[in-house]
Amino acid sequence: MNKILSISDSVLFVFIMLVSLFGLALLYSATNQDVDIVIRQGSRLLFCFILMIIVSSIEINKLKQLTPYIYIICLIFLAITLFWGHDSKGAKRWIIVMGFSLQVSEILKITVPMMLAWYFSLSDDKDISLKKLIFSFLIIFAPIFFVIKQPDLGTSLIILLCGTITIFLGGIRKKYIAYLSGLLIVFMPVMWKFLLLPYQKQRIITMFDPASDPLGSGYHIMQSKIAVGSGGFFGKGFLNGTQSQLEFLPERGTDFIFAVFAEEFGFIGILILLLFYMAIIIRCVYITSKAKNYFSKILSGSITAILILLIITNISMAVGVLPVVGVTLPLLSLGGSSLISIFLAFGIIFSVNRRN
Amino acid sequence: MRKSFWDFNRVNAERLFNNRFAILILILSVLTIFLIIRIYFLQVVSFKHFDTLSETNRIKYIQTPPRRGIIYDRNNIVLADNSSFYSVEINIKESKDVIKIINAVNKEIGLTKKEIEIFHKKKSRYSHHNSIVLKSNLNDAEIAKVLAIRYKYDGLDVTASLMRKYPHNEITAHVLGNIGYIDKKDLFELDRKKYKNVKYTGKTGIEKYYENVLYGDPGYKRVEVNARGRQIRDIEEQSATPGSDVHLTLDIELQKFMYSKLKDYAGSSILMNPKNGEILAMVSSPTINPNDKLWNFKTDNEAIKKLKSPMFNRSINGLYSPGSTIKPILALNGLHNKIIESKTEYYAGPFFQLPNSNRRYRDWKPEGHGIVDLEKAIIQSCDVYFYMLANNLGIQKMTSFFKYFSFGEKTGIDMPYESSGVLPTNEWKVKNIGHKWTKGDTVITGIGQGYFLTTPIQLAYATSIIANNGSIVIPKLNKNIQMKKNKKILEKENYLKNKISLKDWETINNAMFKVVNQENGTAYWATKNKYNNISGKTGTVQVYSLSQKTDVREKEDIPDYLKDHSLYIGYAPKENPEIVIATIIENIGSGSKYAAPISNEIINYYFDNIREKY
Repeated sequence: MNKILSISDSVLFVFIMLVSLFGLALLYSATNQDVDIVIRQGSRLLFCFILMIIVSSIEINKLKQLTPYIYIICLIFLAITLFWGHDSKGAKRWIIVMGFSLQVSEILKITVPMMLAWYFSLSDDKDISLKKLIFSFLIIFAPIFFVIKQPDLGTSLIILLCGTITIFLGGIRKKYIAYLSGLLIVFMPVMWKFLLLPYQKQRIITMFDPASDPLGSGYHIMQSKIAVGSGGFFGKGFLNGTQSQLEFLPERGTDFIFAVFAEEFGFIGILILLLFYMAIIIRCVYITSKAKNYFSKILSGSITAILILLIITNISMAVGVLPVVGVTLPLLSLGGSSLISIFLAFGIIFSVNRRN
Repeated sequence: MRKSFWDFNRVNAERLFNNRFAILILILSVLTIFLIIRIYFLQVVSFKHFDTLSETNRIKYIQTPPRRGIIYDRNNIVLADNSSFYSVEINIKESKDVIKIINAVNKEIGLTKKEIEIFHKKKSRYSHHNSIVLKSNLNDAEIAKVLAIRYKYDGLDVTASLMRKYPHNEITAHVLGNIGYIDKKDLFELDRKKYKNVKYTGKTGIEKYYENVLYGDPGYKRVEVNARGRQIRDIEEQSATPGSDVHLTLDIELQKFMYSKLKDYAGSSILMNPKNGEILAMVSSPTINPNDKLWNFKTDNEAIKKLKSPMFNRSINGLYSPGSTIKPILALNGLHNKIIESKTEYYAGPFFQLPNSNRRYRDWKPEGHGIVDLEKAIIQSCDVYFYMLANNLGIQKMTSFFKYFSFGEKTGIDMPYESSGVLPTNEWKVKNIGHKWTKGDTVITGIGQGYFLTTPIQLAYATSIIANNGSIVIPKLNKNIQMKKNKKILEKENYLKNKISLKDWETINNAMFKVVNQENGTAYWATKNKYNNISGKTGTVQVYSLSQKTDVREKEDIPDYLKDHSLYIGYAPKENPEIVIATIIENIGSGSKYAAPISNEIINYYFDNIREKY
């Protein structure tokens, strides 16, 4: 059975399915019991499940050979998005592909590390030279250029972080780490002044003091904190969260799905959810440690770390320790593109494991 | 080849990777632990705080306005009632785009330009309100149409409200007053806590004076609301305590009759029981139908212009010279101060002149009255007699005596905004006119002209004192309250009853009886049947001083607004009077011709149709 479905780790598979199916139930609550949305997300889940099986059945070396093409297709799609993208709230982030709206920038969270892993495994010299480093950052910034233009600074930062994780795992020298950190500190004020749009600055300011603008951008953070806090130890119960059911909480299906969960299931529920995530991650760590070649090791290591990063970022947004950057919660948030990237990631993990 | 190299470097590269991977997982794990601590603080440590915030988010207290008390006449006939109606409202605090909502509503049910205009006016004028009415009196189809689009627009709502209804329309308008939008001035007087979701309050008349009684106590509802403020369900409710009913002393049948007599004129009439101060009828004309007032923001200006100040309550605010109706009191003053004696006769020629002055103070009778005593002077309303009397009394004695009848002061009737009138003195004239008081001023005050101004209610009140031989009652409209006489009033009453001899009271009362019942009395021809023993006194107030040389008082060609005011005070029956009346008709002619016949018709109507009911 496992062989047929090319699913090589049944524990991982079971936990992924448990969390994603629970995600549908949570979505039912987050959308005010909108069955239509849940069914649509369910079909997306099915599609992504099939995608995962397909990806996992591809030989990891074959996948490695396909990587540059996937990366270039992503770049092309990004360009298309920029020119013919779907306009929403003043940002062009989606394109329609075969009737599905696709946010290519979401998939970059996986394809950029993939490209980097491919690039690092090209040369025999596993040491990262300056030339290699510069080229690595070119790989990261080429798609980011399009994403910033959308404009979507939050996703750009996440892609940058994902890529950085791969470079770090690829064995960048400590010297360069120090240089890059220094550069970052120096350029931080410059970025604040020239790169950030006023609303982005406002988001960051209100994160530190949500009460400064309770009806404006601080509203989201405030309502989310209220939802989490009022959940208490045991939560208000499924479908009983007042913050979510009465729509005080914004973006309930996507950015703030964690707040919906926290309100209805409380602290104890959160601990259980984190245990489920931990089970998935521990399996990924295990598979990474067993990976037989360089490409698969770096890639599955990156994916594992990125998974944790995304979970932390999303939860941090919901509890008000990070500005609202539009990061979805893996396996739980509404939306097709993030689901594709997550299941693509798991597909790769399974593929790596199959090789083991 | 590559693979072999991997194998060659395998140990080093793998160690580096494992090292880095471990560091990364460690960092992320530490961050996760911090995050869990953060969540612990939110959910467990600060739970109370956030739970309260969440509750205040979703639960709103809503005040439910009480049903307003009903106003009845003395026979429990409804004078003011409530009827429910539906209106479209826009909550201007919640709605994001008011214009868009108006357009949407307009598309559904059609709004007139005026309705939209009025909405915007109200919105700027009553910005302290949450909701502003866009259209009232919706029919069922309109309600359904608006409700169908309601969900699309925050702040759009259909509300049921109680509408004040006055079944007798304009007949009771000035007495009952009206209710209207609470404006910023009202907020100072009203208990804000009780008027949270209320738009209307009593503005004038009984509605205003008894606002506290009629209003009642609001109830409240605790409701669950969603983020857009829409009510989801009721959690707790305490119903409002309806306002108390008010029973008035008015008799609607008498009121109707009085109104029918006055409606073609500008003026006022008041019929009051001198025993207890109960006002049986009180009309101010012209007036407008109060039922139209609330529907429109402002009453049709054209309609107001056509009428002569229909919003003005002449009964308590109209200031008129008392004219000859003041003569009985002046006579009483003369008797009391021993300036005159009732039987002493004087010669009253066509005019009176002050020593060393050319100015002639004319009598209304061009040829003069000849030999007159006090009684005849009252019966025929001899001006020259009272010019002389006033001149002999002097303004000091006159005003101090008028004060016992509370001229220049409010009567204390249970109506808001009563006027005090003017009881002039030297100081008053210096302060308000800028000149010193002259002897001439004293002379014309003797016939109730000049600066002396009274309201119809003051005249009715003074007449009741005459009818009562000095006993004072405070006029009142509420049947169930006892009007308290304050110390000042009690002192006045004590003086009038004990210091003025009964003989003097009887002298002027007899004279007033003869005004109506003796053939040469000024009101004799004005009264058809005499069986009701009416006493009275006419008054004709000059609005405009005709030239000294002209002897014609009522010229046909003078414009209406310069014509005399016609006044009458009266009471009946002669013994043990039970009603007094005061009537003023503006710019029409003499007291004998208009006010007297109308008043006596009203009195007769009372005795023929109303009295037997009690």
